Amino acid sequence: MKYLLTFLILLLAGTLAAQTTISGIVTDVKGEPIPGANVLIADTYDGTTSDLKGNFQFTTDENGTQLLLVKFIGYKEYKQSIVLNSSSLSVTVVLKEEINQLEAVVITAGAFDASDESRRTIFKAIDIATTAGATADIAGALNTLPGTQKVGESGRLFVRGGDGSEVRTFIDGMLVLDAYGPAAPNTPSRGRFLPFMFKGTSFSTGGYSAEYGQALSSALALDSKDEEQISRTDIGLLSVGADVAHTQAWEKASWAGKIGYTNIRPYFNLIGQEVDWQRAPESLEASSAYRQRVGKSGMFKVYGNYNHSNFALYDHAIADPSIKVLQDLANNFGYINASYKGSINSKWSVRSGLSYTGIQNHVGLNTLKFKEDENGLHAKVAFDGSLSDKAELRLGGEVIKHTYEAKIDTSARALGFGEVIASVFAEADLYTSNKFVTRVGARAEHNNLNDEVSVDPRISLAYKTGKTGQVSFAYGRFRQSAVNQWLRMDNTLQPEKANHYILNYQVVENNCTFRIEVYYKTYDDLIKFNDESGNLLSNQGSGYARGLELFWRDNKTFKMVDYWVSYSFLDTERDYLNMPYAVTPSFASAHNFSFVYKHFITKLKSQVGLTYSYTSGRPYNDPNEEIFNNGKTKSYQDLSGNISYLPKPHLIIHFSCTNLLGRDNVFGYQFSKMPDENGVYASRAIRQPAPRFIFLGVFITLSKNKTMNQLPSL
Amino acid sequence: MKTLKLIPILIASLALMALSVSANDKYNEMMQKNIQTVYTAKTTDEIQSVINSFERIGDAEKSKWEPFYYASYGYLMMALREKESAKKDPLLDQSLKAIEKAKAIAQAESEVIALEGFIHMIRVTVDPASRGQQYSGLAMQTFGKAIALNPENPRALSLMAQMQFGTAQFFGSSTAEACGTLNKALEKFDTFKSDNLLAPTWGKPMAEGLKTQCK
Repeated sequence: MKYLLTFLILLLAGTLAAQTTISGIVTDVKGEPIPGANVLIADTYDGTTSDLKGNFQFTTDENGTQLLLVKFIGYKEYKQSIVLNSSSLSVTVVLKEEINQLEAVVITAGAFDASDESRRTIFKAIDIATTAGATADIAGALNTLPGTQKVGESGRLFVRGGDGSEVRTFIDGMLVLDAYGPAAPNTPSRGRFLPFMFKGTSFSTGGYSAEYGQALSSALALDSKDEEQISRTDIGLLSVGADVAHTQAWEKASWAGKIGYTNIRPYFNLIGQEVDWQRAPESLEASSAYRQRVGKSGMFKVYGNYNHSNFALYDHAIADPSIKVLQDLANNFGYINASYKGSINSKWSVRSGLSYTGIQNHVGLNTLKFKEDENGLHAKVAFDGSLSDKAELRLGGEVIKHTYEAKIDTSARALGFGEVIASVFAEADLYTSNKFVTRVGARAEHNNLNDEVSVDPRISLAYKTGKTGQVSFAYGRFRQSAVNQWLRMDNTLQPEKANHYILNYQVVENNCTFRIEVYYKTYDDLIKFNDESGNLLSNQGSGYARGLELFWRDNKTFKMVDYWVSYSFLDTERDYLNMPYAVTPSFASAHNFSFVYKHFITKLKSQVGLTYSYTSGRPYNDPNEEIFNNGKTKSYQDLSGNISYLPKPHLIIHFSCTNLLGRDNVFGYQFSKMPDENGVYASRAIRQPAPRFIFLGVFITLSKNKTMNQLPSL
Repeated sequence: MKTLKLIPILIASLALMALSVSANDKYNEMMQKNIQTVYTAKTTDEIQSVINSFERIGDAEKSKWEPFYYASYGYLMMALREKESAKKDPLLDQSLKAIEKAKAIAQAESEVIALEGFIHMIRVTVDPASRGQQYSGLAMQTFGKAIALNPENPRALSLMAQMQFGTAQFFGSSTAEACGTLNKALEKFDTFKSDNLLAPTWGKPMAEGLKTQCK
């Protein structure tokens, strides 16, 4: 009985204990009240919510020392030990802001991020697929953004006075040696990687992170999708071929495979081409992706891609078109990329990867046969640490082994190089508040060819001027090894270098974005010919580029309509390669303008898109003239359209056409190497291979539920 | 003597049991009161306040899915009321966070899975053009999972019907399948009785609203 008594007394003591009243106020560091905060005694039901003035009051039956918690979204959890002893208690709670990705300022100088996940991005992954005129090519879509110059005969991205080789592509942080498929001279090449593979695209036109090396003008970082959650089969019937893809999803993993065959011959037979094809391009491609979630936050990805393409064409002499040379090309391309991303502990996470690119070109000029062999191996590891919520650190190292050899079949002599670049990088993001961030970093590289160590600094700042506006500045020094064509001739060539200075202002409000950016860029150590023939090379070239860019996007004002406008002004000169002195290079145009319009018409179940591009005249060199690069083409203009019709949830019919108005665009002029008997160099315009490119495709998706379709992948 | 000695222990353990029953009573009582509030709340302040209450209960109990379920439901209701689409996402994030907690406790609970699908469904409305495909597929798949876990769950059926109806309407195809699912849902709303006192009961008016479009 004694026990029972004690127990009952204890029980009574528990229920009869006098209550303690806790009251107080919740404010932020500036003293502004925070309404809606959850105020509670840890591990009990007792607590309340702060009112509109931040005040709170509640009673508790608990006794002794307890933990008072205050929680509110966007603020750090507040903890305080309190002693409850039946009297009233008053507490003043000051919540500290949590530096959080969604709220915090981001560095925007030079950067265009496209992702489905981050909602503050101004350019989305799907935008790449649905931009008219881009024909689902990543470079084509990015060409409608400021900072790029349209170079129609190349199809590659040209950024801020840099040439096409100065933009480097990274997939999941790993370098891709050549991101474009082969193309005949003066016909546009297409990117090798399809936009639908990626969940995020970060296109930087300068001032990028120390993590990216070997890119002189621009880094295009593509972030591949995580595991798929829905199994499906996709079939595409195209006017130029067919493809079939299957995705299998499991609980924590997925596998996707795709096989595609493209043959443009029937199309070229139907629509006459400027190019004299002996055998129009044909390609076979297979790709495969496997994703596996490891543990709670780990992700393991393997992606492989193999492509074979070939074509042959007659190159007619400029002075006498009846003289022709048969050029043929067979290209084999293999790329494999394995990466792992996961957290080590609550503060550090790791990203690591291994990638291999193998490229083989068999080139024929009449009976003369060449072979080119290129291999790239890239290993990388990077650690991301959150030292506190105000400091983030990125550390890493990588090794890129790049070998190249070119050889005439009948000759024993080969031109080539074996380059090994080892680098380490470190970068810190320091937040003073959600409003201000400084990023300081550096990248050190060792190159075996010249046995030199270099250190390149990178600095950027961003400051939020208000709720929606922000200013950003970036500076960095960048380097990139000379392209194969030159490095194979002289292995001792130094990397080319550039300095970027960028100032940016951006406002994002109500689904509208306005952006203005100015930049200044200097180039040094550019490759320069030391003699007429170009057999003797040096690093004595230099140059500059400066410009102003504007961007406006609005998907709010008109219902179901999304449009953007971009304008870039570029002033650039460089003295490199065969240039006698600094001039504007032939790929540079002073004014670039794009207008992209997308409209979803519910009644027609169709998405309609239009893109208008304007590029002012580009210089070309006319050897008949005294002054170098003094010629200027007329402006380039293009109006492209596309329409995607969704008659059923799992069926899409897609039609697109470039250059609707059939304008005869001239990209430049070629001249014969030797003057004729009158001392005149004959010329030929570089034109579009055909006035228009027309594409028709039918896409069918088979999945368990029939709502899936391929729209985002178009 | 031995038995005598045992009596107090017996009584003590009975009292302990009573105490734990009373703790459970307290849980049920508090939850019922709060569930009533979340269903009838008129302002976002009221919803926020009841969500806070659910989170306090959930954190204290640790092994009960219902508090997190209703916290998630509360945030979802806030997201539905929010007019500015940019502000919907953070609320949906909170809603998802809460349902993930519920899922960690009861991963085979059809109601929990159905609510998760509902969150995906609302995600679509924030940016239909770029999210439509991903999230509507995901929502459908999640509703399918919820129905498989409990074919009697009227909410899972009614949400599935909602998705099917929207899809059919968009493509101008027949709404027969959607209306079939809806009829099943309406039937289950009348017959389905959970033995859990705290089980959700919402969704019938929404289903009846859709019914008016099924003719």
